[in-house]
Amino acid sequence: MLFKTTNFIFYSSLRAYALSIFTCIALVALATTLLPYVDLANIVMLFLLAVFLISIYLGRGAGILSAFLSVGLFDYFCVQPRFTFAVNDAQYLLTFAVMLTVALITGQLAAKLRAQAELARQREQTTQALYEMARQLSAALQLNQVCEITAAFLRNTADMQSLILIPKGDDALMPAAPHQVWYEPHMAWAAYQSAAHQGDSASMLTEPDGLYYLPLKGSTRMRGVLVLALPQDVPALASESRELLLAVASLVAIAIERLHYVDVARNTETQVATERLRSSILSALSHDLRTPLTVLVGMADSLALSKPPLSSRQQETAQTLRDQSLRLSAMVTNLLDMARLHAGEVILRKEWQPVEEVIGASIQMLGDALKQHEIKVSLPPDFPMLEFDAVLMERVFCNLLENAAKYSPAQTLIEISAYVEGAHAHIAVRDHGCGIPAPKLEDIFGMFVRGHAAETANQIAGTGIGLAICHAIISAHVGTIKADNQDIGGACITFTLPLGNPPDFNAAMLEGDLT
Amino acid sequence: MSTLAPVIVLIEDEIQISRFVRAALEDEGCQVHEAATSAQGLIDAANRKPDLILLDLGLPDGDGIQVVESLRTWSSVPILILSARSSEQDKIAALDAGADDYLTKPFGVGELLARVRALLRRRMQGAESEPVANVGDLQLDFARRSVTRAGEAIHLTPIEYRLLCVLYASAGRVLTQRQILREVWGPGHAESNHYLRIFVGHLRQKIEADPAQPKHILTETGVGYRFHI
Repeated sequence: MLFKTTNFIFYSSLRAYALSIFTCIALVALATTLLPYVDLANIVMLFLLAVFLISIYLGRGAGILSAFLSVGLFDYFCVQPRFTFAVNDAQYLLTFAVMLTVALITGQLAAKLRAQAELARQREQTTQALYEMARQLSAALQLNQVCEITAAFLRNTADMQSLILIPKGDDALMPAAPHQVWYEPHMAWAAYQSAAHQGDSASMLTEPDGLYYLPLKGSTRMRGVLVLALPQDVPALASESRELLLAVASLVAIAIERLHYVDVARNTETQVATERLRSSILSALSHDLRTPLTVLVGMADSLALSKPPLSSRQQETAQTLRDQSLRLSAMVTNLLDMARLHAGEVILRKEWQPVEEVIGASIQMLGDALKQHEIKVSLPPDFPMLEFDAVLMERVFCNLLENAAKYSPAQTLIEISAYVEGAHAHIAVRDHGCGIPAPKLEDIFGMFVRGHAAETANQIAGTGIGLAICHAIISAHVGTIKADNQDIGGACITFTLPLGNPPDFNAAMLEGDLT
Repeated sequence: MSTLAPVIVLIEDEIQISRFVRAALEDEGCQVHEAATSAQGLIDAANRKPDLILLDLGLPDGDGIQVVESLRTWSSVPILILSARSSEQDKIAALDAGADDYLTKPFGVGELLARVRALLRRRMQGAESEPVANVGDLQLDFARRSVTRAGEAIHLTPIEYRLLCVLYASAGRVLTQRQILREVWGPGHAESNHYLRIFVGHLRQKIEADPAQPKHILTETGVGYRFHI
């Protein structure tokens, strides 16, 4: 409305002046006719009334013109001697002066009143329109709806073309909807950057050809830039329009931000559903694979224990059946664990605990697999408690010990040692076997990577997944793991765990004085 | 073992697993009743007066943990859980609900029979307890509250002694960390897992020959502890 009203006044001012001249002439004609019957003072009143009405309805300029015109015409046509500007009685000069003053003042007042009323009406309409736009924006569900609502508002209110740019990646802006606005991307980017850095949402950049770049600043971060093109015949923005546009920009920013959070919420929901599905598929798979394996192991055992006793050859077959089933089961466990770890689905149940305990449990769990080796655990007496998921750490130790046993000759020593350095605990598992070929030391923790050339590897069962699982578990604990060969021969796998802040121990509980 | 054949109810929906478990138990001289659903299992548990219940946690008609809970409302019969490996939380829930022990699938017949024997032995011994118990080279004298190892007296703090007694009293069962904390420290300390670990460590130092590779106080990682006689 702001610009349209200005246009309206501009277009219609000539007509208003013509109309006021015509009114004055008509009035003079009337006054001349009435002159014999009406007192001159009353005719002055008629003229004053005319000036007043013209000021109200045709504006200030027309009012001033009619004031002078009225005085002139009154003098020329109505005051003796008529048809000349000369005046017989000097007191008429006073009449003219008063008439002109009163006409001008009332005209001014009337015009001002009218202008104020007009302004108030415009403001009300603008507020109404803004309110309506805010209402529509709050119901918008998609970005292109926001664009349409904004474009429609600016077109209807200010006859402006508009375009919303949203950030794309970290260093560019892109239009949020198809558009016909020709804009300078670098100017838009400059507006975006300056608002982002200065935190000044009221800044706006202008181009000489009537393009405006308004940053859209949300409560948490920049949401984009609003580009405006003024209509051809409006050279610059008035200050009220500037405020209006800033209000529009903040409404649009809020709307875009709201859509962003709606998106975030929806994505989280989808992600949760996907994870739940993946988790249930993995557990179903795990159950379905384990059931036949359980049957296999159990049946092989039943066969071995059946009466009358089997021949030694049959006994051996039953034993092999059992061992291979257990191996298959271990492989399935490893693969499923890897799938879980890889999907980022594992929730760490971290607790403070001595690492010694989980080492003991791993040795106990491996049982027969370590029978051929001597295990030596040497931890410093003051080695601190660490925070980790015991079940996963047991997997790490089981895999490392199993590897050590597989790749080193029988009757050799497997050593587990530990020390503290800086903010980390270092734990090492050493064997006295063939070690790891030097070129493989780097990528031995990759999936399906095995340390030894195929011919050697084929003699020793394995999938190349054990160390990958160790790596995934240690990484989840914010630690590191690396492989080395010892000078005296044999592999050494060292991993670190952060020391963290161990909990305070209540002395009374430690002393056992609770009775 | 008593002269009467022990009665066992097997609640398992996989026919092939039931088959070999049943065969193994019958060879051992047990009388086995099979149930494929938890509803049927509960009926059998009430009718057959079993000495032991074997329960699969993944039953088609409901949660195995609910079966444990409803059994425990009226019976103290030992319950051995059969479960898949990747569900420590389920095992803990089942043990906390009152189950006595668990076996992880796949399990061998030898393992199964060892667990079954241990639970049946506990059942047969009943509530009577000896004043003196021998565990390897350890001797626990409950009357005098003293513990000796190979004839030498071991000094235990009151908490350590109580912990050892709780573990010994449940020999052959798995105790969850929560259960031990409640028994030894009282109900207010159910979340103080790290204290329990410290005390178990101390106790192992005193009673185990090699504390790093214990023979008596065994860790069931992520679940709790088992005392092995």
